[in-house]
Amino acid sequence: MLNIFKNMCLKYPIMQGGMAVRVSTAPLAGAVASAGGVGIIAATGMTVDELRNEIREARRIAMNGTIGVNVMFAVRNFAELVKTALQEKVDLVVSGAGFSRDIFSWGKEAEIPILTIVSTSRLAKIAEKYGASAVIAEGSEAGGHLGTELSTAAIVPEIKSAVNIPVIAAGGITYENDIVEMMRLGADGVQMATRFVLSKECTVADSFKAHYLNAREEDVVIIKSPVGLPGRAIRNVFSEALARGEHPTINCDNCLKVCSHEYCILEALENSRLGHIDQGVVFSGQNVFKMKEILSVKEIFQNLRGAFSIKSK
Amino acid sequence: MSVESKVKDIIADQLEVAVDKLSKETTFEDIDADSLDIVELVMALEEEFDLEISDQEIENINSVGDVVKYIESKV
Ligand SMILES: Cc1cc2nc3c(=O)[nH]c(=O)nc-3n(C[C@H](O)[C@H](O)[C@H](O)COP(=O)(O)O)c2cc1C
Repeated sequence: MLNIFKNMCLKYPIMQGGMAVRVSTAPLAGAVASAGGVGIIAATGMTVDELRNEIREARRIAMNGTIGVNVMFAVRNFAELVKTALQEKVDLVVSGAGFSRDIFSWGKEAEIPILTIVSTSRLAKIAEKYGASAVIAEGSEAGGHLGTELSTAAIVPEIKSAVNIPVIAAGGITYENDIVEMMRLGADGVQMATRFVLSKECTVADSFKAHYLNAREEDVVIIKSPVGLPGRAIRNVFSEALARGEHPTINCDNCLKVCSHEYCILEALENSRLGHIDQGVVFSGQNVFKMKEILSVKEIFQNLRGAFSIKSK
Repeated sequence: MSVESKVKDIIADQLEVAVDKLSKETTFEDIDADSLDIVELVMALEEEFDLEISDQEIENINSVGDVVKYIESKV
């Protein structure tokens, strides 16, 4: 996996998954990049100017680190956000939740790798054909929008055997031995998100992190997102209302290309990260209940790096 | 072979429907094509007609007739 990044300061094939809205911003991405992983800024829900500032700030924090940007295809300003990231010369761009074909020619022109989030070998093959540098194989344990009901361990070997580009496993990875297991199943690297929310550097409100820390296994639920995909989140007042079929009224600015308008997902995500937990969606991976403390990004990496020394045996 | 019959052949082949079921009015919804089916169809069309179709152009293609019109405007 290392060879797909020009930036050789990558010490570990660990990517911090992009998390919208404004859950993964410069402080978290910069800390991950400084620790030797790939720090990813989630652009979905941002303006072009905001994204540019975040990229520059992350670069300032991690001068030689690897910084990427994640953009959801369904968002209306997708093209502008991707082009801004490319202009700012990020090390890679990740796209998911819908398949863009144009992004590969933009990436080629800018000589910046494009990674596609996939949940099936079918989409993985299409991405490879169009020129993806790697695919992120995301299973059903992941937080946020989901593309499959199959577990990460089920899809990784299948996707690995379908393509010749690196495969990065995502969804439910918590501990060092999870990484070892994913590599054994054929993954070239991993992407983790929920673990990094419970870090000192993640800028979400304390009550957002508290909602993570208090979550029991049975509190992790599937909600309906107006994007047209199911989403994994932690049960709260908002998700209970959705389950009863109630929807808050919305101020719509048509931010998505496709939307059911049942509620505003971007607003709901923004509410929760600001600490208005009851009025928002708290996306989270299935294994959130296994994590009981907020660590620094450096400590998280110290707890994981053994996976790579074991592997070399 | 006309563009129309070529397009119909490709659609029938890619989406596994009988050619005689396809008319210009047939929409992709009618034949249960999902978004990945459309991406694969577009790949096949690009190869056959040697052109590049953008994300935006795909958004405006909903029926067999749309594809035919689009290809005719390009070749
Ligand atoms: C709060 C939150 C927000 C997320 N937002 C995005 C996003 O904007 N784009 C995306 O591709 N994935 C998003 N994800 C998915 C993660 O990037 C990641 O692939 C997944 O959560 C990995 O599983 P894990 O959380 O169990 O490690 C989000 C996940 C969480 C928990």
